Amino acid sequence: MARAILEIVLSLVILIGLAPLAEGLLRKLKAIIHSRQGPPIIQPYLDIAKLLVKEDLAPTESWMWRVAPALCLGATIVVAMLTPIGGPPAFAFGGDIIVFIYFASLAAVAIILGAFASGNPYAYVGGSREMMMMLSVEPVMTIALAVAAIKAQTLTFDGLMASPVTSTPSISMVVAGVAFLLALQAQLGKLPFDIAEADQEIMEGPFIERSGPGFALFRWAMHARLMIFSAVLVSVFVPLPNLGIPVLNMVLTLAVMGVVLALVGVVDVVNPRLRIDQSMAYYARVVVFVSVLALALAIVGH
Amino acid sequence: MTTAELVRALRHDFGAAIQSVEEPVSDKVRVAVTPESVVAVAKSLYRDYGARFLITAGIDSRKDRDGFDVDHIFSLDKEQIFFIVRTTVPSDGPHVAAITPEVPAAAWAERELQDLLGVKADGLLDGRRLILPDDWPEGVHPLRKDIKYGDWPPLGDGTGEATYPWKPAPEGTSTVVVGPFFPVLEEPTQLRLYVDGERVIDCDYRGFYNHRAIEKMGDSELTYNEIPFVAERICGICGFIHSSCYCEAAEEALGITAPRRARYIRSLMLELERIHSHMLWTGIAGHILGFDTVLMQTWRMREPLMWLCEKISGNRKTYGMNIIGGVRRDISRDLYPEILSVVEKIEQEWAQLYDAVQGDTILKARLVGVGMLPEETAKALAAVGPTGRGSNQAIDARADHPYAAYDEVPAKVITHPDCDNWARVVVRLEETLESVRWIREGLKEMPDGPVMATDIAETVPAGHWGVCTVEAPRGEAIHYLVTGGDNRPDRWRVRAPTYANLQALPSMIKDETIADVPITLGSMDPCFSCTERVEVVNMRSGEAETLTHQELLTRSRAATERLRGR
Repeated sequence: MARAILEIVLSLVILIGLAPLAEGLLRKLKAIIHSRQGPPIIQPYLDIAKLLVKEDLAPTESWMWRVAPALCLGATIVVAMLTPIGGPPAFAFGGDIIVFIYFASLAAVAIILGAFASGNPYAYVGGSREMMMMLSVEPVMTIALAVAAIKAQTLTFDGLMASPVTSTPSISMVVAGVAFLLALQAQLGKLPFDIAEADQEIMEGPFIERSGPGFALFRWAMHARLMIFSAVLVSVFVPLPNLGIPVLNMVLTLAVMGVVLALVGVVDVVNPRLRIDQSMAYYARVVVFVSVLALALAIVGH
Repeated sequence: MTTAELVRALRHDFGAAIQSVEEPVSDKVRVAVTPESVVAVAKSLYRDYGARFLITAGIDSRKDRDGFDVDHIFSLDKEQIFFIVRTTVPSDGPHVAAITPEVPAAAWAERELQDLLGVKADGLLDGRRLILPDDWPEGVHPLRKDIKYGDWPPLGDGTGEATYPWKPAPEGTSTVVVGPFFPVLEEPTQLRLYVDGERVIDCDYRGFYNHRAIEKMGDSELTYNEIPFVAERICGICGFIHSSCYCEAAEEALGITAPRRARYIRSLMLELERIHSHMLWTGIAGHILGFDTVLMQTWRMREPLMWLCEKISGNRKTYGMNIIGGVRRDISRDLYPEILSVVEKIEQEWAQLYDAVQGDTILKARLVGVGMLPEETAKALAAVGPTGRGSNQAIDARADHPYAAYDEVPAKVITHPDCDNWARVVVRLEETLESVRWIREGLKEMPDGPVMATDIAETVPAGHWGVCTVEAPRGEAIHYLVTGGDNRPDRWRVRAPTYANLQALPSMIKDETIADVPITLGSMDPCFSCTERVEVVNMRSGEAETLTHQELLTRSRAATERLRGR
């Protein structure tokens, strides 16, 4: 029992606690490509700390407005407990891939509901964009995980991590991994897919009315997505060797996650923003050509 | 067609309606016509002779001839002719027939005439206020001579409920308000987008929040020699075009010829200004699309140019070099190599950027086919600058009405046939390279000699006039000057390019998505404060509070000295 609690605490520290640091490093990377100095890497922590002590201004009496940030971060914390980092997730039980997808979506739904509750037209536009992005990106992620589930004949990350599928390369897993990587950019709200927030167009859309602690929780949840989705990508789709010692596996996974996030960061810096219709068309093509291909390959056993 | 032939043709068509013709400088004509025939004459110029409408200047001439003069200024670009149609309306309840129904580009000019001079334009479809605030009392028209500069009309009834009569939202749309303050609008302006989901069905505009009455200042507070320095502060990005344009118009009205070297220096500074402005714009366009790497890198490339301008003029911006009759500062020959090396470094980096932009598929996906301004619309609304040239309108004041040194070293007019945001990007990217080429040529051709005219008469006769256009980075700026009796103009009319271009915005964003509105607006490089003839001041307040005026001056001069020593 004590060990289980320790594992949960450790994965929360890594996936939630270190998330703002990951964001800080990405900002630094961006600054270097911009030829500027950039903020200190702990800036996201400072931002969150500042927001937490500020007044929480509410444009509406709606209860949905008040609970949305907590719902978003809460769902994200549950997701973090279900996320494998080079080994079985901390809080494992049967069928946890489905629960993972369910709670990951719930976090996004909380953002959308909070946006609609605010009554602001920009938030409304941002919320509906977020919804359209979710509808076009979630299938990619879901199919990619389904490929792994079919290959390993299990619906748990526990089983997946124990299965040779995640440590030995195969064609279908590589293709599914590519699909997951393509979905990652949008899942993390990075350019060219940061359409829902698009500060130059709709002034951060869903978050326009947000300030103070509510905004801090949303920000933190957004940062945590960086860690969670890259951890799933690396743990499931990158065939890393099993080093035998769980801590070493975790460290190796974190190192590869760093590479993945740096790649995401570079793509973010060297691209302009797409329009919502363009990005939906893009993900429709990814679903049809990449995800379905991976699924077909997995079913025929490659 | 020469001016004489044009006047003969108009006399043939309109007979006695043409009351008088003046041509003080060749190819600059002002004809007086009867109020009844003004619409017909304007229509004939626009339809039959291909004249382009520039602007309307209303003048309060009640003390001379008990009336208001309404001067519609046209340009015949190919023939390099300015043609001004003047009509004088009686001062009692002044009204004039609107030319807008026949000449659509005049819409704002005639609304402004109603606001500022109180000359009612009969027949305007949209006669709402353009410039005056919502709570400004009826019947107070600031450009009339009986209103003093700085007069404030009696406050309203204090309810503060004055509202603007916005266009009603079309059936089934919701309203998204953009502005007056919005991240990608550097200056206050308001757009109301009537949207169906993401799609813009219609829009309405309200601006002029920053109007600071610079024209009024020019004809009641300042003297001829002071105006160039205020004119330069009309815009914080392309101010030098305004001081050049004013000085050239004034020189024409006063019969002064600036020395050739001074004219070359003006052109040189204008081209440096165009380069820095286009670089600035390219960065902002990248930022609007979320592409901040473009913003950071173009502004990094631009910085050495700002240092160069400081070295030449003492200021990064707002060079303060123009005076009537020439320029205040010569450029030492020792500086030529440095000017060349700075712009050639930019040329090299810019060519790389141009290649990168052309190869960027996502950038193209956002720009190609978006913000369409068809050729006919661009022509009807008289869009200027890269906005017009991106729609294949070869309008460039440097070629149409050469000023400064462009008669001797011409600049190539760059057009693009695609009529979309991409076309406007390409035009600006290429113009930057063309400006570098001009600077190289111009420096080679620049003659030695004085930079100021010396044979300037002490007294200035009233009633003379001059008109000049200067190609700003955003398009053509116009200054029209009528001399007055008290060492200041009787009327100084300024039209910045955005004034013309903004009128095309509704047709450019119609049926686009909300996501495309910022970049489409950005594609015309709007400069609201120029349009409104005000200055934008940025000060880091914390720093300014701890420094006295004298300290700031000392620091600023020390910085200039440091650069000189480099």
